[in-house]
Formats: sequence, C-alpha cells, structure tokens
Amino acid sequence: MYCKKECIAMLLAGGQGSRLYDLTKKIAKPAVSFGGKYKIIDFPLSNCINSGIDTVGVLTQYQPFALNEYVSNGQPWDLDRIRGGLYVLPPYQGNKNSDWYKGTANAIYQNINFIKQYDPDYVLILSGDHIYRMDYSKMLEQHKATGAACTVATITVPMEEAFRFGICNTNPDGSIYEFEEKPKNPKNNQASMGIYIFTTKTLIEYLENDEEDENSSNDFGKNIIPNLLGNGEKLYSYRFEGYWKDVGTISSLWEANMDLIGEDPILTLADQDFRIYSKNTARPPQYIGKDAVVENSLISEGCRIYGTVINSVVSGGVIVEEGAIVKDSVVMEDVVVKKGAAVYTAIVDSDTVVESGAVVGKENAGKDEIALIASGSVIKA
Amino acid sequence: MASSAAGIIFSSLNNNTLSRLTSDRTVAAIPFACRYRLVDFALSNMVNANISNIYIVANYKYRSLLEHLGSGKDWDLARRDGGITFVSPFQASNTADQAMFSTHMEALKSMKEYIDEIKEDYVVLTDSDTVLTIDVNDIIRSHESTGADVTIVTSSVAPDYTAKNPRIMISSVAGKVTQIAMSASFDERHPELALGIYVMKTEYLRTLIEEAEAYNLNSFTMFLLKNCKSSNYMTYRYTGFVASVSSFLDYYKYSMELVNNEKSRDSLLGKKETPIYTRVHNSAPTKHYPGAKVENSMIADECSIEGTVINSIIFRDVTVEKGAVVKNCVLFHGTHVCKNAKLNCIVADKDVLVSEGVALSGNDNMPFYIQKGRKI
Repeated sequence: MYCKKECIAMLLAGGQGSRLYDLTKKIAKPAVSFGGKYKIIDFPLSNCINSGIDTVGVLTQYQPFALNEYVSNGQPWDLDRIRGGLYVLPPYQGNKNSDWYKGTANAIYQNINFIKQYDPDYVLILSGDHIYRMDYSKMLEQHKATGAACTVATITVPMEEAFRFGICNTNPDGSIYEFEEKPKNPKNNQASMGIYIFTTKTLIEYLENDEEDENSSNDFGKNIIPNLLGNGEKLYSYRFEGYWKDVGTISSLWEANMDLIGEDPILTLADQDFRIYSKNTARPPQYIGKDAVVENSLISEGCRIYGTVINSVVSGGVIVEEGAIVKDSVVMEDVVVKKGAAVYTAIVDSDTVVESGAVVGKENAGKDEIALIASGSVIKA
Repeated sequence: MASSAAGIIFSSLNNNTLSRLTSDRTVAAIPFACRYRLVDFALSNMVNANISNIYIVANYKYRSLLEHLGSGKDWDLARRDGGITFVSPFQASNTADQAMFSTHMEALKSMKEYIDEIKEDYVVLTDSDTVLTIDVNDIIRSHESTGADVTIVTSSVAPDYTAKNPRIMISSVAGKVTQIAMSASFDERHPELALGIYVMKTEYLRTLIEEAEAYNLNSFTMFLLKNCKSSNYMTYRYTGFVASVSSFLDYYKYSMELVNNEKSRDSLLGKKETPIYTRVHNSAPTKHYPGAKVENSMIADECSIEGTVINSIIFRDVTVEKGAVVKNCVLFHGTHVCKNAKLNCIVADKDVLVSEGVALSGNDNMPFYIQKGRKI
C-alpha cells in the first residue's frame, strides 16, 4: 500500500541505561517510570502526536518486553492508525547475517526499508532518554525554510557542564560549522539534544556510506554529523527553549521528578493543550486518610495515604500506612510503605514492600546519596 | 472467552427526581465517586464479566453520555462484533412518534429488531441509577442453576429506607419471589429492594415483549407484577455497597458514605480484579502544594490543592487555592475555589468558580447545589 508521509519519526529506544542500575535491570530505560503516571517514552511519543507526526518506528534492543508491552499498538498516544502508526522495530536476522544494532546510526540503517515504505521527505531521529515537551513541527518548519540537509536541536546548558554534551558551534545565521562530541574545552554551550531532522535522501546516503566504513562506530554524534560537516552539507541548529532533562542517572531522574513539585514547579505536566499521554491503568481515585499529612507532593490514582508524604512524587496504587513517612522520594507503582516505616531521599521501584519499622535512605541526604530500591524488594526492619 | 450474555443498560427513563443533577444530562452521565459517571459501573460490571455486546438505551439529554462513551474504546468495547450499540428514540418515516419511548417496556418494544438479533443465550438488563460493583457471571450462574424465568437482583433495605419514587420491593421464600409491590418506603412484608438488575434468557425477553405488545402493557414493572404468581422469578441477594440514587439528597449521602466508610469504598472501588473503567482523560497526577491540608477525602487527577480539603470528593481538574477550606463537599470537575473561600456541604457542578473570600454552607440534610458554570 502506498502511504506517503511528509515526516516520520524513528525513536531510538534500545538503550540499556546502565547508569540507572537496578531500575533498568529488567527493563529498557525508556520504560522507566516518571512523574507519577508516566514512562520516559511517553514524552517523545506524546511530542510526536502533538506535532502532527503519526508514524513512529520504535527501535528496541535491550530488555524489550516491558517496553513492547507498554507501547503495544500505540493506542494510548493515538498512534494506532490504518496508515502509519507506531511500529516496534527490533533487530532481525537478514540474508547475510543477524545483526544487533551496533550504534544509533546502524540501528536506523537496518530499518531503511521501513523508512522507504512511507517515502517521507524528512526523517526525525529521537531518543527515549529525555523528559521534555517539544513541538517538532516548528523544528521541521525551520528545516524546510533553511533547506538544510540536517537540523540538530540544541539547548543552552551551563558552560561548566558543556563538556558532557555534543556541542554545536554555529555561525550567526544558525548554520553549524563545527560539531564537537564531548569537547574538553567547549567553545560554547549549545548542546545537541540528540534530536535530528534529516532530509531523507541525505540520511540514506550517509547511512549507507557509514555502513561501509569499517572504522566507524556507526553513531550519529560521532560519525554521521561530522561526516555531513566534512562534506560541506548544510547543517543548522534549531534552538529549543524550555524544559529538557536527560534522566540517565539516578540523581538526574530524582531531580527531574523533584522539578514537578514546589511552590512554582519548573516542570508542569497539567497542560491541556499539550498533553503527555500514557497508558491508562483504570485505578480508583486517590484516598487521603483522616490523619494523613500530604504536603508538596504529586499523588496519583489508586494511592491510599494514611501516613505522611512530603516533597515526593508518588505513582499509582501506592499505600502509605498510618505513621509511615515518605519524604524527598520518588515512589513507583504499587509500593507499600507499612506502619511506622520511613522512606527518605530514595527512589523506590514498583511493587516493593517497606516493612513496618524499616527505614530506607537518609533524611536530608543530597542528590548524590539517593537510596535506590529495586522493583519487587522487601525491605525488612 | 465469549460471554453467554448480552447487556442492556437503561439510562434515566422516567427519572426526573434528580432534577438538579440531570438538568443538563441523563442519569447515566451523572458524575459520581470522583472520576466516574454512573454508567461506568453498569458497563464495567458487564465488561468484567466478559460481556461485549451492550445496548445503551437513553431518551433524554444524552449528549454528555455520548461524549463520555465515545467509541467505547475506554471500556474495551470498540469491537468488530457487538461493542456498544446506542439506542435512542427516533422518528419513524411517516407515522409520528412510532419509536418514541418513555418507559423500559416501550424502549424494549422499540428495540425489538436488535433483540431479535442477539446471539447470546442470556440478557442482563440494568438501570444506571443503581451503583454497585457486582459479579455478573455469578448472577448468571445462579440463574442457570435455579432455572428461573427471571432472576432479580435485590438487597435488603434498612427500616428507615425512603425513596423519592416508589421502587420495586420484593418478598421471597428461599429465593423464590412470592410478591412484588411498589413502595417508596420500608415495608416489612417486602423487605428486599429490587436493584434494577434482571437476568433472563434472551428467548424469554422476546416472549415478554410479544406479550407486552399483545396486552398493550407499557411497563416492565407491571409485567413482573402481573406474572409474578404464574412465573418462576428468583432473587439474587447482593450484600455489598449499593448506591441507589433516587434523589439529590441520596446522591449527596451516598457520596459522603464513600468518603466516610472504608468498607463501602472498598466494596465499590477496591476490587483489583474488577476495575471500574471510565473515559480516559490523560490528566496529570494531582499536586498537593506546600501548606496544603487534606483529610479523609477522595481526589481525582490533575487537581491543584493549596488550601484545606476535609471529608470531600474532588473530581478532576479542581483547584483549591491558598486559605480556601472545602469541607463535606462534592466538587465536580473544573471547579475553581479561590483564595480564602469557605465551602461546607456543597455540591458544585462542572466548571463552577467560587470567588475569593466567598463563604457558602449547606447542611447534611440539605446540601447546597451550585449549577454548572456558575460564578459565585
């Protein structure tokens, strides 16, 4: 069936996220919970549908079961379509050899036929590692207006952190003259967000060439972008302003959750004009008990709070019993904190039981001392 | 596993005793228990019993009901076969009011063609003003084992029971219905209240409609009364929480019972294996701000709580600003309570704005109702 699309998205969701330790032991990073009722992957998928992109290939590799089950047919994001929609693209066995995805560029290369099926003019490359709300259609508009071969979304980061990113050095008109991956001495602080729009013809040409280069690590930041620049292709940066956070580490995941609370939160998800969609779980409303104290916290459906919850983000179905305290913590689905137990400065993964009298974490610990409890644990006193 | 039953849900036929809550919506679409509409309970009970061929009958202000149901997807009822079929009165071509209906029996007569096509062996009929979480398969099993013509779900009522409208009251011996009566209050001769849930063979329903047509019977209740002695009607006793919403005061009292009585709350909403489904709004989790105080309350998603909320039911997208106190209230979605406002025993319909410093109070037996969209 011929089904031309102007722009399709390829979402790289194969990352292990090893710096999230136990959280990604059994699930891929994009399937990690965030903000009470979301998974990280809800953000790029919701961005797509809110930007008018209705065809998304989700490239999976590491521990894909939870992720596959979660995205299923794309229905929660309105991506169950007759023409287009959401497709999970795992590595597969070809005629010549069976190949795991070697790098980000190789993953896309292996799915060139998927792209060609939609004959898109542009391909949007995304990753499933970030929390942000972005209207990609504005970036696409700029890409078309500049006639670029590739547009790289960038964001201003603190100068002292710039060495951790891919840095775009640009001319006054926004065109990129140099791209430095994790430079020791960054020349500026415009960091690549790992979001690229390619004109399809250029993308395919460079992916094919890159595949022939045996010394390449088949990576967009390390190989494809520098090759484009080296050949004098037109690259532009698209400056994004707004909240964007890499949640690849325990402390950054915790911080991003904390960004949702406070008097005047840095990140608000209750925007009815730009919804973040997620899979519905049909839980009852939250119930807050007679002697409960709930302050400065995000509480989700199905929670039953009889104890104290302060400065925390609590996911669906969590029970905090009488006399228990949860403070400065991120508590994921269906955790039970029993009578008199305490959870301080922690990320507690789903289905954990904190037994009566047990204490998790240290009160008022910093973001570098966050206690991490793996899914399904039983914490005894 | 396909179910052996089809479902028919009636919305608000003949029910005008809920006047305020239904001035803009049919009974099935009345918001209840924080994030649901009444119809969600009847629908979820059926869906949880694997029933996937469901007719929803409405003749009155059903716009909001249609909007709520959408394609039926949120109840897993967007199906190739069956799913939700909406039955409303329609004007037949030449003969005026041929398909208009205002009673259950008239509705059943008008949907005869649908009923003729039902492939399932059994039908489950239910009203939407009775709110409960019940195992429909268990009723069907009981129906099969007793070999009844009709199984009527009942619950015992307290001696202080009164309803706005006469309800169907039943007396039974060893489960067999011996008498049916209409009563608006407790009657010791008929101590069971019919909950508006009936199970029968589809074939029996077809005969029932034919008989009603032959005798020009326009009331389902009259049919039951007339045939009680000659037929085999059995009861199925339900002992969990039931909200039989027949008046505005009932509505308020049942809402408060859900907040105040954990057993009732668990009976209706606490069964993990039978979740209650509702329309998905993709709302963000609720934010409790620094200084907020919430006690003994049920709160839906996407609320902003900066003030105090006590003994209340708070629907989706409600804002309670700093210094505001909400006590013993039911606030429908979109209610905005500004700074230092004080509300006690209030039922606020959708999108009400309570301005800064306003104080309003009803009492337990006379809660104050604020109309949809009002600014106070």
